[in-house]
Amino acid sequence: MTYWPVKALFCVLLFLPVMVWAEVCAEDEKGAQVCLPEPAKRIVTLSPGATELMFAAGAGDKVVAVVNYSDYPPAALKLPLVGNHTRIDLEALLAFKPDLVVTWVTGNPPAQVELLQELGVPLFSIEPRTFEGVSSVIERLSTLAGTEQEGYVEAAHFRAGIKAISEQYRGAEPIPVFYQVWEQPLMTINNDHLIGKVLQLCGGVNVFGDMSRLVPRISAEVVLEANPHAILTGSVDGKSDGQLDLWKNYSGLKAVARDNLFFVPASPISRPTPRLLEATELICEKLDVARER
Amino acid sequence: MIRSLLILGILAFFAVLLAMALGSVNIPLLDLWQTIQGEGSALNRTLLMDLRLPRTLAAFATGGLLAVAGALMQVLLRNPLADPYVLGLSGGAAVGALLAMLSGMGALLISGSAFAGAMLATLLVFGIAHGTGSWTPSRLLLTGVVVAAGWGAVITLMLAITPSYKLPGMLYWLMGDVSYARSPWPALTVLVLAVVLIMPLARNLNVLARGPLQAAALGVAVRPLEWMIYLLASLLTATAVTTAGSIGFVGLIVPHMLRLVLGNDQRIILPASALAGGALLVLADTLARTVIAPEQLPVGVITALLGVPTFLYLLHRSR
Amino acid sequence: MSKLSTRDLIINVPGRPDGFALNLSVEPAQVWGVLGPNGAGKTTLLHTLAGLLPARSGQVVLNDTDLGEQKRRDIARQLGLVFQERQDSFPATVMETALIGRHPWLSPWESERGEDQALAEQALTALDVDHLSGRLLNTLSGGERQRVAIATLMTQNPDIWLLDEPTNHLDLHHQVKVMNLLADQAGAGKTVFLCLHDLNLAARWCSHVLLLYTNGDACWGPAGVMLEPSALEQLYNQKLITVEADGATLFVPVRSGPKP
Repeated sequence: MTYWPVKALFCVLLFLPVMVWAEVCAEDEKGAQVCLPEPAKRIVTLSPGATELMFAAGAGDKVVAVVNYSDYPPAALKLPLVGNHTRIDLEALLAFKPDLVVTWVTGNPPAQVELLQELGVPLFSIEPRTFEGVSSVIERLSTLAGTEQEGYVEAAHFRAGIKAISEQYRGAEPIPVFYQVWEQPLMTINNDHLIGKVLQLCGGVNVFGDMSRLVPRISAEVVLEANPHAILTGSVDGKSDGQLDLWKNYSGLKAVARDNLFFVPASPISRPTPRLLEATELICEKLDVARER
Repeated sequence: MIRSLLILGILAFFAVLLAMALGSVNIPLLDLWQTIQGEGSALNRTLLMDLRLPRTLAAFATGGLLAVAGALMQVLLRNPLADPYVLGLSGGAAVGALLAMLSGMGALLISGSAFAGAMLATLLVFGIAHGTGSWTPSRLLLTGVVVAAGWGAVITLMLAITPSYKLPGMLYWLMGDVSYARSPWPALTVLVLAVVLIMPLARNLNVLARGPLQAAALGVAVRPLEWMIYLLASLLTATAVTTAGSIGFVGLIVPHMLRLVLGNDQRIILPASALAGGALLVLADTLARTVIAPEQLPVGVITALLGVPTFLYLLHRSR
Repeated sequence: MSKLSTRDLIINVPGRPDGFALNLSVEPAQVWGVLGPNGAGKTTLLHTLAGLLPARSGQVVLNDTDLGEQKRRDIARQLGLVFQERQDSFPATVMETALIGRHPWLSPWESERGEDQALAEQALTALDVDHLSGRLLNTLSGGERQRVAIATLMTQNPDIWLLDEPTNHLDLHHQVKVMNLLADQAGAGKTVFLCLHDLNLAARWCSHVLLLYTNGDACWGPAGVMLEPSALEQLYNQKLITVEADGATLFVPVRSGPKP
C-alpha cells in the first residue's frame, strides 16, 4: 500500500507522452485521412445531423457552435450559431477557433468548405448513407474527439438494434409501400436513400425503389398505378397534419381502403443519426399494422 | 470631371474600409489598424486578410463589372433600362456555367462557357428585339424578360436532372452571393483592363448614344464599335457571374444614379460606374452579412430590394 | 475644298424601279435644294450621299475617291449631315450636343479644348440658341432643337453640308435666318445640299435645284432654269400660280373649292 504513490507516478509517467502527443486520426467520407495532434476540444458542426452525431459520439460538451436547426439533443439548442448549412458565417466560425469542423459533403457550399481548408481549419466531412455508415461515423467522430468509450458503445448499440430488427423482419411478408417525402411537389425516395433502406429492413417494398434519382419527383398517377398497400410520410413529431389527405379521394387505393396512411416523426427518419433506430422501429410497427389490415 | 471621380474614389475607399471594419465578429478600429500594419492577433489577421478583404474585393469587382456592363449596354441599346440581369445576360451566363459544371469541366472552361452563354443571350435579345425596327423600350424589355424567363426554365431543368451531390455547388449561380466567391483577382483584373480599354473609346460612345446614324455621320465606325461593346459587356457580365452568381440591378441603378448627377459623358460615367458599382455592392454585401448575423443573406436580395423600385420608377418616368 | 459628285447613282428606295441615274456634280459655293413630294426619296438620297445607306448601283465620289473606300472619320471631316429625326434617349445639354460636332477632329485620348468650346459657342450664337447652352435638350421646343442640330453641324465645320429639311419646326424669322446662314456658308466656300418642302425658300436661296419624282425620275440644274411652273406642277401634282416679288419668282398653290 505504501507504494501506491510510486505506482501512480509510474503510470502517469508511462502514459504522459501518450496523453500529450496523442495524435488521433480518422478517415472521412471524402476519403481524406484527418489527423489531429490531440483530440478535438472545440468542435463546430455544420449540419443538424452532424450536431446530433457529435452528441451521440459522447462529445456534446466539446461542441462550441452549430448551424441553425440543430434542435437535437435539446442541449444543442443552447449553442451559439454560425449561420445555416447553406450559408456559413465563416467569420463567426473562425472566431470560435475550432480545432475540428464537421462538414456535410453535399449540404455545405463547396466554395466555403474549400476556403476553410485553405485557411488550415481541420475538417472532417460526413454523410452516412447506410446503417453501418451511421455506426462507423459515430466511432470515427468519437476517435477524433477522444471519447471513444462513449462513441463505440453508442455505435455498437445502434448496430445491434438494426441487426435485431433486420433479423426480426427477415421473414416478414413483403408489403408494397410508398414513402411521401413532400406533398407539393410530390416527392419520394429510392432504395439507395437511407429511408428506402429502412423500408426494406422492415420488409416493405418501396414501390419507387428502382428509380434512378435519390429523391425523385413523381406524379400522383404513378402512385395510383403502383397501388401501394401503405403510405407513409414524415411530419412534426409524427402528428397527422393533412399531408396525406389528397390520397383519401382515391378509395380504390389499397392503402386508403385499408386505412394505411401513417405519419412518422420527420426529423429522426430524415437524419442519419442514432434516432434512426427508434424511427425504424416505429416504421416497422406501422407496416406490421398495415399487414394485419 | 477629375474631381467627381476623386470623390467617388474616396467614397469607394470608405465603403471598403467599412466592410473591413464590420462583420459578425466585432474588431475595434484600433485592432483593425494594427492588423493592417501587420501586428495584431492571428485570429484578427485571418478574419481581416483571409475573409473580409478577399470578399470585399470580390464584391467590389463584381459590382464594378456589372455597373460598367450595364452602362455599356445602355449605350449599345440606347436605352437607360438595359441591364445585364433584366435582359437575361446573367441568365445566359449562368446556363453556360451550369452546363460546364454538369459536364464536369474545370474552372477556366466554366468561365469560358459562362462568357459564351452571356454572348448568346445578348445576341438573342439584340437580334429579336431589333427585328426590322429600332429598339423601342417596350420591345426590348419584353424580349429581355422573355429570354430571361427562358434561361430560368433551362436552369430549373438542369437543376432537376442534376445528381443531388452536385446541387449545392450549382445552386449559387442563381443566388447572387459573394460569400461563395473565391479569389477576387481575376475579376479585378478584368475590371481594370476593361475600363482602361474602353476609355479611349468613351467619346465614341457619347456619339453612339445619339443614335447609330448620327454617330456614323460624325465619323464613328458604328458596326465594329457595337460589336466591341457587345463582346465587352458579355465578358464583363460573364466574369461577374462566375465570381458571384447572378446579381441583379446593379447595372441598372448605378449608371442611372450617376447620369442624374454627372450627366451622360461616358468618359466620366464608365470609370464612375466602376467605382460606384463596386462601392454599392461592397455596402450591400456588408449589409447582407451583418444585418441578421450569424445568419447570412445573399447579396442579390439586397440589390434586388434596391433595384426593383428604381427600375419601376424609371419605367414609370420613361412613359 | 471638298467636292461631291455621283456616278450613275441609283438610290435604294425599296420597291421602286431604278428610274433615272444621278450624275451630280456639287461644287463649293453652291446651294442645292432637293425638291420632291413625300416618299420621293429625298432623305434616302441624303443618307446615300453621306455614305450611311448603300446605293442600289453607281457611286458617290468624294474628292475623286469612292465614298465606300474612305474611313468614316475622314468622311466626317469633310461632310456633315443634319438629320430630320434625332434620338435623344439620354439627357444631354445643348452645349454637350454642339460639342459633339468636334468628335471627328479629336484623337481618342483628346478632350475638347478651349478652341473647340469657342467654335461651339460661336455656332450656338449664330443660331440664336447660345442662351440655352446649359439647358437639357429634351426641355427645348422642336424649333430650338432643330437650331441646336444645325449648330452641331456648324461646330463640326465640314466642307460639305447636307441638311434634311433644316427649316422644319422653325418660325418664319428663324427660317430666314437659317437660310441666310447657309447662303453665307456657301459664300465662304462651303457646299450646301438640302432637302426642302418650301418652293419659295428654294426659289430665293438655292443656286441649284434637284427635282426628285416619286417614280424615280429626276432632273437637276441651275435654279433659274429648273423652277419651271409646269415641271413643279407635275412634281407635286398641284396647280401653281407664279408671282413676281422682290426680284424673285414665287409660287402659290391654286386653291380648289369655294373661297371663305
